[in-house]
Amino acid sequence: MLEYDGVSKRYGDTVALEGLSFSVEPGRMFGFVGANGAGKTTAMRIAMGVLAADAGVVRWRGEPVDFETRKRFGYMPEERGLYPKMRVREQLVYFGELHGLDPSAATAAADHWTDRLGVAERSNDPVDKLSLGNQQRVQLAAALVHDPEVLILDEPFSGLDPVGVDTLADTLLERCRAGIPVIFSSHQLDLVERLCDSVGIINAGRMVASGTVNELRARAGRGQLRLVVPGARPGWAAGLPGVHIMADNGTEVLLELADDADDQIVLTAALRIGRVEHFSWRQPTLTELFREAVADGAARGRTGSEARRGAVREVLA
Amino acid sequence: MNAVLLVTRRELMTRIRERGFQVSLLITLAVLLAIIVLPKVFGNDNKDFRVGLAGTASRLQPALEQAARTGGVTLHLSTVSDVDAARSLVTDGKLDAVVDGDREVIVKDTLDNRLEVILQGAYQTVVTAERLAATGIDPGKVSQALAVPALNVNKLKGENTADGRRQGVAFFAVVFLYGQLFGYAMWVALGVVEEKASRVIELLLSTLRPWQVLAGKVAGIGLLGLGQFFVLGAAGLAAALATGTLSVPGEAVGTILHVLVWFLLGYAFYACLAAGIAAQVSRQEDLQNAIGPMQILLVGSFFVAIFAGQSPTGRMAEVLSYVPPFSAMVMPLRVAAGAAGPVPVLVALGVMLVATLGLVRLAAWVYAGAVLRTGSKVRLGDALRAGRADRREPRRDDRREDVSEAARPASR
Repeated sequence: MLEYDGVSKRYGDTVALEGLSFSVEPGRMFGFVGANGAGKTTAMRIAMGVLAADAGVVRWRGEPVDFETRKRFGYMPEERGLYPKMRVREQLVYFGELHGLDPSAATAAADHWTDRLGVAERSNDPVDKLSLGNQQRVQLAAALVHDPEVLILDEPFSGLDPVGVDTLADTLLERCRAGIPVIFSSHQLDLVERLCDSVGIINAGRMVASGTVNELRARAGRGQLRLVVPGARPGWAAGLPGVHIMADNGTEVLLELADDADDQIVLTAALRIGRVEHFSWRQPTLTELFREAVADGAARGRTGSEARRGAVREVLA
Repeated sequence: MNAVLLVTRRELMTRIRERGFQVSLLITLAVLLAIIVLPKVFGNDNKDFRVGLAGTASRLQPALEQAARTGGVTLHLSTVSDVDAARSLVTDGKLDAVVDGDREVIVKDTLDNRLEVILQGAYQTVVTAERLAATGIDPGKVSQALAVPALNVNKLKGENTADGRRQGVAFFAVVFLYGQLFGYAMWVALGVVEEKASRVIELLLSTLRPWQVLAGKVAGIGLLGLGQFFVLGAAGLAAALATGTLSVPGEAVGTILHVLVWFLLGYAFYACLAAGIAAQVSRQEDLQNAIGPMQILLVGSFFVAIFAGQSPTGRMAEVLSYVPPFSAMVMPLRVAAGAAGPVPVLVALGVMLVATLGLVRLAAWVYAGAVLRTGSKVRLGDALRAGRADRREPRRDDRREDVSEAARPASR
C-alpha cells in the first residue's frame, strides 16, 4: 500500500500542502483532482523525492519511501521530461539502466513498450521530431520501462487525442490490474470517474474529499431530486416537510431532501399541481462533487449551502 | 553500472555524435595542421637550399659547405656545366640559385637572406684567400688567418634554449587549453539548462542524487575535452615531427602533462561554477546574462596569465601562482621558466585543490537547491537554503544507518 501520512510543504509563506493523508492499495487506481496550484504536482514530487516534505512521510509497504525504494517507482512528470535531442530508444534504454536494468534487459523493455504504445517505428528518431501525442507515449514508456512497483503520473492525459487517451488508459488499467498502485492527476474528470477506483479532491494543499466515487456521492447525501411539472408556479414545493429547494423555475425544480424526508410525499404534491413529466434522483457527477468540495473548502467564510447553491446554479446553466 | 558512469557515458556519447561537435573538431584539426604544414609547403621557414655552381664557381664548394655548417642550413650543391641550362633549372624551381663563375648569382625572384649571407661570405673568403696567395703569402698562413671563430652570443636577459623551449610549449598549451575551456564550461551550463527546461531533471532526480548528475555531466564533458585535446595534440605533434617544424624534446611532453594536471583542476573549478550558475535559470535566453560574470572571470584570468607569462619570474606571477583560479594558468608557466620548485607547486596545488573541492560542494549545493525551481531566476540565497533543506533528508537516513551500524557490535 502506498500511503501519504500528514505530508506538508511550504514555499516561503505559501502553503503548498498541509497534512495530506491518503492511501492507495495495490491494484487500485487513484485519481488526483484539483484546480491548478492546488498541490497535486507538489504531492507527487514529494513521493518521487524530487522535493523534500517539511513534515509527514510517504510510505510504501509500510516503510518510509527512500532513495532505493524510488528506483522501483515509475514517474511521469508534468508536461515534458525527456531529452529533446536524444533518440527514443536510447533514451528509454538510458532510463532503464538508471533504474538498475542491465543493458540487454533495458533494450528489450524499451522495444516492448514502444511497441505496446504504438511508437515503435519512431524508435530511432529524436524525441523533438515526434508529435506531442507521441512524445507523451514515449514519456509513459519511460515511466514503465523498468517494470515499476508503483506508478505516479502527473497529467498523463493532457494534450492527447481520443485514440491516445484510450491507448494510455488501457495500458494503465493493465498495469494496475497486474497489482500495482497507480496515482495520476488529471483535469479530465469524466476520465478520472471512468478509470479510477478512488479519487482524491485536493484544494489549496488540503485533501477536501477522498474515497471511491460512490463513497463521495454517499457522503454528499442522497443527491438531488429533479421534477419537471409543466405549467407549475414557482414555489409550489415550498413548505413540504424536509425539502430544501436548490433551484426552481416553476416547471423544473431541483430539491434536496433531509434524510428522514419522503420523496413520495413530494411526488404526491407534484401530481396535485399538474402532470409530472420527470421524477428522478440524480447522482452528482464527479465534476459536481469536485465543484462542491472545492467550493466548500474555498468558502470558509460563506455558509455551505450558499456555496452549494452557487455550484448547482452552474450545473443548471 | 555505476550511476555516475551512466551519466558520464551519456554526456560523452550524445556529444560525440552531435554534428556540430564533429564539424568543429575537424575544423580545429584542419587549422592546426595548416599552421604546422603550410610554412613548410610555402618554404617561408626553409633551411634547405639547392645551389648550382657553374664554371669557376665550383671552387667555392668547400667554403660553402663550411659556411652552411656554421649558419645552420643545408646546402645541396651541384655542378652545372651550361649556364643556359642553369637558368632554366632556376626558372623551373629545380634550383634555388646558381652561382655563375665570378660574375653573378642567378635566382628566380628573390635571394633568401640566409642563402645570400652564406654565398657572399664564402665567395669573399675564397677570393680574399686567392688574392692574398697571389701576393706570395703562404696559403697555410692565409687559411689560418681566415679561420676566425664566430662570436659567442651572450644573452643577458634570455634563458638557455631548453628553458625557452619549455616556456614556449607551456605557454602554447595553457593558451590552447583555456581557449577550449570556454567551450567546455558553456557545454556544462547549456546541458544543465537543457535538463531543467525539459524537466528531464525530475526523472533523473528520482533515481540519482543531484551530485551524481552534476559529477557525471562534468566528468563526461571533461573526458570529451580531454579526448579532443589528445586527438589534436597527437595529430599536431605527428605533423610537426614529420615536417621537421618542431623537434620535440622529451621535456616538452613532461611540460604538457604538467599543464594538463593544472588544467583538470581549472576545468573542475569553472565547470562546477558554470553548473551552479546555470541551475539557477530555467531558459537558455536567461543563461547568457547569468553566466556573464563567470566569463569575465575566465577572460580576466586568461589575460592575467598571458601577462604574467611574459615575465614568469616576476613578483606578480609569483603571487598569482598561489591564488585560485589564476594559479591553474600561472603556475605551469612559472614551473616551465624554472622559477618554482616542488614545494611552491605542491602548496599551490593544495590551495587550488581545496578551493576546487569547496566550489564543487557549493555548486552541488546550489544545484540541488535550484535545479527543480522553474520560472524566474532563483536567487542564490534561496538556492542555498533550499539546497540545505534537501540535503537534510538523505543525511537523516544516513545517520540512522550509522546508528544501527554502531549499535550492532555493542549488542553482540
